[in-house]
Amino acid sequence: MKKIINRKRRKFLKQSMLTGLAISSFPSILTFSSDALAAAYGANINWRQAEGSEITVGLIPAGYFKNLEAIKSTFEDLTGVKLNIEMTPPGEIRNKAMLDFSKKTGIWATNATDPMFYYLYEANGWVDRLDEYLENPKLTDKKWFDYNDIQAGWRGTTSVKGIPYGIPFDGEATCQIYRKDLYAKAGIKPAETLDEYLSNAQKIHDPNNRLWGAAVRGMKGAGQNMYIYPSILAGYGGKWFNSSGKMTVDTPEANAALDYYVKLQKTVAPSGVSNWNWPDLADAFGQGTLGSYIDANSTASVINDSTKSTVVGKIGYARWPKGPSGKRVCSIWNWSFPINAALNKKDKIATWLFIQWATSKETQAATSYAFSGAYKRVGVNRNSIWKNNEFQSLMSNMGDNFVDTSIKSYNEDTDADWRPRTAQWPAVGGEMATAIQAALVGEKSIKDALKDAQAKIDKIMMG
Amino acid sequence: MSFIKFNKKNYRNFIITFVATFILLIWILPLIWSVFVSLKSEIEVLAYPPNIFFEPVLDNFKAAIFGSLSIISELIDSFIIATITTTLTLILSIPAAYSLARLNLFGKKKIGFYVLATQMIPPMGLVIPYYLILGKFGWLDTYHGMIIVYMTFSLPFAIWLMVSFMEDIPREMEEAAFLDKASRIKTLLYIIIPQVKGGIAVTTIFTFMNSWNEFLFAVQLSGNKVRPVTIAMYNFVSVEQTLWAKLCAAALIAMVPVIIIGLIGNNHIVKGLTLGAVKGGGRK
Amino acid sequence: MISEKSFASYLVAPSIIVLLLTTTFPILYLIWSSFQNINLAMPWMDGFAGLKNYSDMFQDKQFWKSFKLTIIYTLSTVSLQLIIGLGLALMVLRIPKAQWMFRLMAILPIVLAPVVVGLFWRTLMLAPDFGIVDFFTKTIGVGSFAWLSEPKLAVISVIAIHTWQWTPFAFLVLLASLASLPTDLYEAAKIDKASAIKRFFYITLPLIRPAIVIIVIIRSMIALSAYAAIYAATRGGPGTATEILNLFAYRTSFLEVNFGYGSTLAVFILFITITVAAILYSIRKKRI
Repeated sequence: MKKIINRKRRKFLKQSMLTGLAISSFPSILTFSSDALAAAYGANINWRQAEGSEITVGLIPAGYFKNLEAIKSTFEDLTGVKLNIEMTPPGEIRNKAMLDFSKKTGIWATNATDPMFYYLYEANGWVDRLDEYLENPKLTDKKWFDYNDIQAGWRGTTSVKGIPYGIPFDGEATCQIYRKDLYAKAGIKPAETLDEYLSNAQKIHDPNNRLWGAAVRGMKGAGQNMYIYPSILAGYGGKWFNSSGKMTVDTPEANAALDYYVKLQKTVAPSGVSNWNWPDLADAFGQGTLGSYIDANSTASVINDSTKSTVVGKIGYARWPKGPSGKRVCSIWNWSFPINAALNKKDKIATWLFIQWATSKETQAATSYAFSGAYKRVGVNRNSIWKNNEFQSLMSNMGDNFVDTSIKSYNEDTDADWRPRTAQWPAVGGEMATAIQAALVGEKSIKDALKDAQAKIDKIMMG
Repeated sequence: MSFIKFNKKNYRNFIITFVATFILLIWILPLIWSVFVSLKSEIEVLAYPPNIFFEPVLDNFKAAIFGSLSIISELIDSFIIATITTTLTLILSIPAAYSLARLNLFGKKKIGFYVLATQMIPPMGLVIPYYLILGKFGWLDTYHGMIIVYMTFSLPFAIWLMVSFMEDIPREMEEAAFLDKASRIKTLLYIIIPQVKGGIAVTTIFTFMNSWNEFLFAVQLSGNKVRPVTIAMYNFVSVEQTLWAKLCAAALIAMVPVIIIGLIGNNHIVKGLTLGAVKGGGRK
Repeated sequence: MISEKSFASYLVAPSIIVLLLTTTFPILYLIWSSFQNINLAMPWMDGFAGLKNYSDMFQDKQFWKSFKLTIIYTLSTVSLQLIIGLGLALMVLRIPKAQWMFRLMAILPIVLAPVVVGLFWRTLMLAPDFGIVDFFTKTIGVGSFAWLSEPKLAVISVIAIHTWQWTPFAFLVLLASLASLPTDLYEAAKIDKASAIKRFFYITLPLIRPAIVIIVIIRSMIALSAYAAIYAATRGGPGTATEILNLFAYRTSFLEVNFGYGSTLAVFILFITITVAAILYSIRKKRI
């Protein structure tokens, strides 16, 4: 029965997808033939060169991947490659991917990869160099694919020493998200500096009426509180490596940054914030109990979902506030696709075809503004789409200044080394995360937390 | 005189019933709240103060059963794995428990302890070895792969549960049977097992549940073709947000098969108890 | 008929064979790994490490902190489970008519997937200002507590969550055990005018001792290895306040990809579990 439902669903979605393609100014398509699809994609390569292969791709349950899954039959019809998608819980996908890579079982042709792990993958030789694929005219139509159209900062994070190992699919940047109605009432504008952000929050902070001024991620984790702290650190002029290349985390700037973080969370955030992750922030904001937060612009789709949120139409966005050093650095994050080095040649080609297809302008459009379902992807990877009128008009529904803030954040506020890029990232990120939370809940003083983290990191980096 | 005694006993029973019920209600309060949450719309779930009165909707259950987020096929997968695991475990463990509990087994103590010890390996230490073994045989992401892995921790658990139930039966059971010229096998099947029906039911329920709720191995050793229901919960816990109402609906649906098994088992527990009472616990 | 010894061996052999086949390799692999340097983040360091992992472990402050926490956690939750479970079982024993309902209600917490339990308690029950427990404590006037954010409270919370989920196991097993006890012993005791308390301590308790010991062993094992619910509720936080050895080993092996050291921790967990079980095992056999 599952097969029948799937088939029916695929047919419907395929139609929607093709309609979507037609909307995005491609010749209208009346047949479902592979040739027609190939023509719609306009790439000068043989899409069917890996025909008959079967590949499995590991993804996480997220709106942007679900849209991709919805149109996967288009890929299968185009290339003749069978595509299996395995939705894996986000907390487990890295373990599973690394287990697969390290034991060379070749189960996942590719998977949704965290950019901070490329150094680790490359050091172990688990993923292929993609420049060989990009430069091969049989595999890639360079002009059509337009690799440089993909966000520059993101491309930087999926490359090691300048060589690309993954292609970004979907990304985000952190920014301020605030209630414009509350700000207007208090007569304040979105903050330009970190201190202003705190004082803004204090002005609208009203816990007796269940309104907290601001909050950021408190949950410990390399991808949780260590997704916000580095931006604050950069704002205070901090760096991860000192002049001799040694990782130092207890510098004066780090102490000042952590001090600000703890002050912010303790003064204007709900008391349970040390356990909060971004869904909790978005939920609270959507319920009207949080006046502002700093987190990924992709949370926009959650707080604009009228079935869950009560604040639709009252949202504004602004770039990260500057720190005392005058710098502002937002997060740089994307999900990207590498190629599993343990596959055979034909499967690798099939995988590359998948990656090309998924990250192409056409598919990005089809999963975003041209998608027939309710969720339209926000974090598309291509500059050209961000400039597209239809995309922009759709995104401006997310709230004031969404498009402008996002584009500026992507182009001007990103720094590929905003977090320490090293093969030991998993352990280092974990230790920092623990230290930050320990300081937040008062388990250790700020100074001690950073000092202890430094000691542990020294051991980790020494090997 | 007897009249007053009757009231006293009734009164005491009433108090006990009341207290026990109260405790149990508090115990399952989170579950009652889950039921409430599953009937609310997403926007109401996080409302504070929490609403007790609201208009129930069935959308969440519909979403969990039909549509793209359906957990039905995962339920079936989990059911297959749990049922086969439990059946095989019972077939192997009951005779083994009998042997350890009541027979003159050579090396009884050592074997008994070995069985117990095999269960003590921390699960996360087992993930990689099992991944390697299953990978070598091509049994990753298969039913039989998962069943073998689950048997590894169900078997010792079931054996030891059954041992404690077997030890409750008076020693004279076998002697009486042998006087009647029953063979060893017949004794086991027709005399001993009916006596521990209650214990078997309890063991069945817990063995089934262990397989049903298992997550660590389920996610690492399978997930595509064979997808247990514990992974399906994540259909509603996406990276961006948790859909609480639908998650509760899904969790409640996932509990149904186990409850059914529990109810069936319950019958046997009751039967076992009345049997014991009639026989006066084994003595004449 | 065949000898008792042979019969006994035949009955137990299939299980032993299955266990030997499925657990020998993993245990050996684990022990071997604990003597190796296996760190995915630094593949150039891989190789034989001898006892270095073990000496590192005994000098690791985090390890001792985690070990102490694990002892507290395990002792607390197993004792609570036993006491509450036994108390409930004794009470419910007297109302045979309603027993089925209690059994059914008792199963429910265990059936709920651990992940859902953790998430549920974290966000819907214990979250200050947003959760139900918080609502109650405010209503009855004791104010708000940061159940999962304050280190000491967090430990209490995870003990409570684990106890909440697993006491029904003790309850059900003890209920089944108590119900099958021969009633004539009680008759004899009543005739001897023994009080209810004396009856309990001298007759009931010794008879259900095997059941109790098994419950303690099994629950201890689960407590030592339980990870899903705590992880979903606190991730071992705040800081490392609720990071029992098991979670610490998981974090080391999988999040920090240091498999060598993680295996050492796992071997240690195995070692203390076996030791504890051995001690309990030896006292179970003493009969009055």
